[in-house]
Amino acid sequence: MLEPVMFTGGVYKHDLVIELVEDLGGYVLQTNVTQSEIILLMLIPKEDMPAMEALSKTLRGKLERAPLAGTEIAVVTPTLAIHHLPHPACDVAEYLRRHGAKSNMIGMSRGVGREIAQMDEYETALINEHDAVVFTFGNFVDCIRKKEGIYRNLTIPVIVTGGPDMKPEDLPHAFEYVPRVGRIAHRSRKATEIGSLDNIVAAAGRALDSARVAISKDPLSTTPPRVMEVVREQVPDIMYSYSPLPIALNLNGLRIKLPYDEYHEAVENIRFDEGVTLGEIARVMPSKMKNYILVRILPISETGFVV
Amino acid sequence: MEMQPLEVFKIEMPGEDYGAEKYKEIITDILQDLGLIRSIGELYVYVDITKPYFTVFGRFRGKMPPLRVRDVGDLIQVEGGYQINLEDEEHMANLIGILWDTYGRDKVMQPERNVLIVESDVSPEELVVADLEKEFRRDLVDALIRIAPEGFRNRRNEMAKDSFFFLAAEETIDQDMVTEVKEIFRGMQNA
Repeated sequence: MLEPVMFTGGVYKHDLVIELVEDLGGYVLQTNVTQSEIILLMLIPKEDMPAMEALSKTLRGKLERAPLAGTEIAVVTPTLAIHHLPHPACDVAEYLRRHGAKSNMIGMSRGVGREIAQMDEYETALINEHDAVVFTFGNFVDCIRKKEGIYRNLTIPVIVTGGPDMKPEDLPHAFEYVPRVGRIAHRSRKATEIGSLDNIVAAAGRALDSARVAISKDPLSTTPPRVMEVVREQVPDIMYSYSPLPIALNLNGLRIKLPYDEYHEAVENIRFDEGVTLGEIARVMPSKMKNYILVRILPISETGFVV
Repeated sequence: MEMQPLEVFKIEMPGEDYGAEKYKEIITDILQDLGLIRSIGELYVYVDITKPYFTVFGRFRGKMPPLRVRDVGDLIQVEGGYQINLEDEEHMANLIGILWDTYGRDKVMQPERNVLIVESDVSPEELVVADLEKEFRRDLVDALIRIAPEGFRNRRNEMAKDSFFFLAAEETIDQDMVTEVKEIFRGMQNA
């Protein structure tokens, strides 16, 4: 069982951490260098955690559990106007990021209004590429109830946030509703506001767990971090991708930030040690996000084996 | 007698108690950000989310006099003209423009960053540097658009001498709606 953790410490000797992760058979998901500080998101076997804790202690680093690591969560606002941004949505996105998730902010083109709000096919498909989604709605009970039509077609767990308290039966299509967020015109700094952000993270954790349970009923042919490793080995051009996170992990696959037309064959032909290629155990398709490559790993029921 | 800043601040949203409480915070935050709160004496907000519309009616605290040269800096008579020492650079650009228009470019000199010399016998004391009233009204409209929920794209804005009225709705605004809202505001003021 791999445990998601976040290491924060100095750049000096951080390669020891990376080496240890490799020795333990874990994965480094993301490295983030900010001047002399480094943040490493990693997956480590649970039973080897004391070894990593000891190393982190000698390096004077901080090791925390990052429950959302290896997932992508969309934070959706009705538009990108000043009414919805920056405060509530950025606070939510930043908070999810601090707990290890890769959060993407999406502003809908026609998400405003009580009567006129709508979401188009492209937006639906784009949001469906994520593992979970957080919708930031406003302070009116009636509007939150009416806007259900926007996310009804999504297949991933939907967390709705808004101001007023509402009953779960009012929002049957939402996975969970987190109250006391709503529209604000200042940064979240009060204890109650920070508490609401914690509630969103907890709800996201539950949503992802439900998705994990659904996947575990028909497990994937291989794990996304393993695919990430072989992509790094066999498609070295990924080193030249300028994205902060060249390979973003999802629960059931990954997104490779290279142009689809040029690289999709190289990705499909990636060969595992066991002899199978990635094209045989996963669907490689164009992502709705820019012209990236989206990989969706097939379940055992379709391939018949585990790599 | 002059009103205090936001002496009256009433907000009504039938069926949306949480929204009313929260919008009070939002309105205060936005008016504070734009530095308008001190110029408004009374503010009435009424929202009917079932129609839906969002309306604001307010009264100004008092008329703001235009900003003149003597308000923005020290004026000293010097040989061959007048010297203005500016305290606040904020008005420099406006002031130079006005002086150029009045005296001509060759008569205005700027020997130092915040010093201007005008070659003229006529004192620039009474020249108007900025029309604060106009700027305030422009900022107020901006604030009201920011405050109203974004989906309410149809707006009506009435600026009177001592009050303003703002109505934003999702549907087309008709005269009946305006009359209805104004009647509600009359009720709120008399309550």
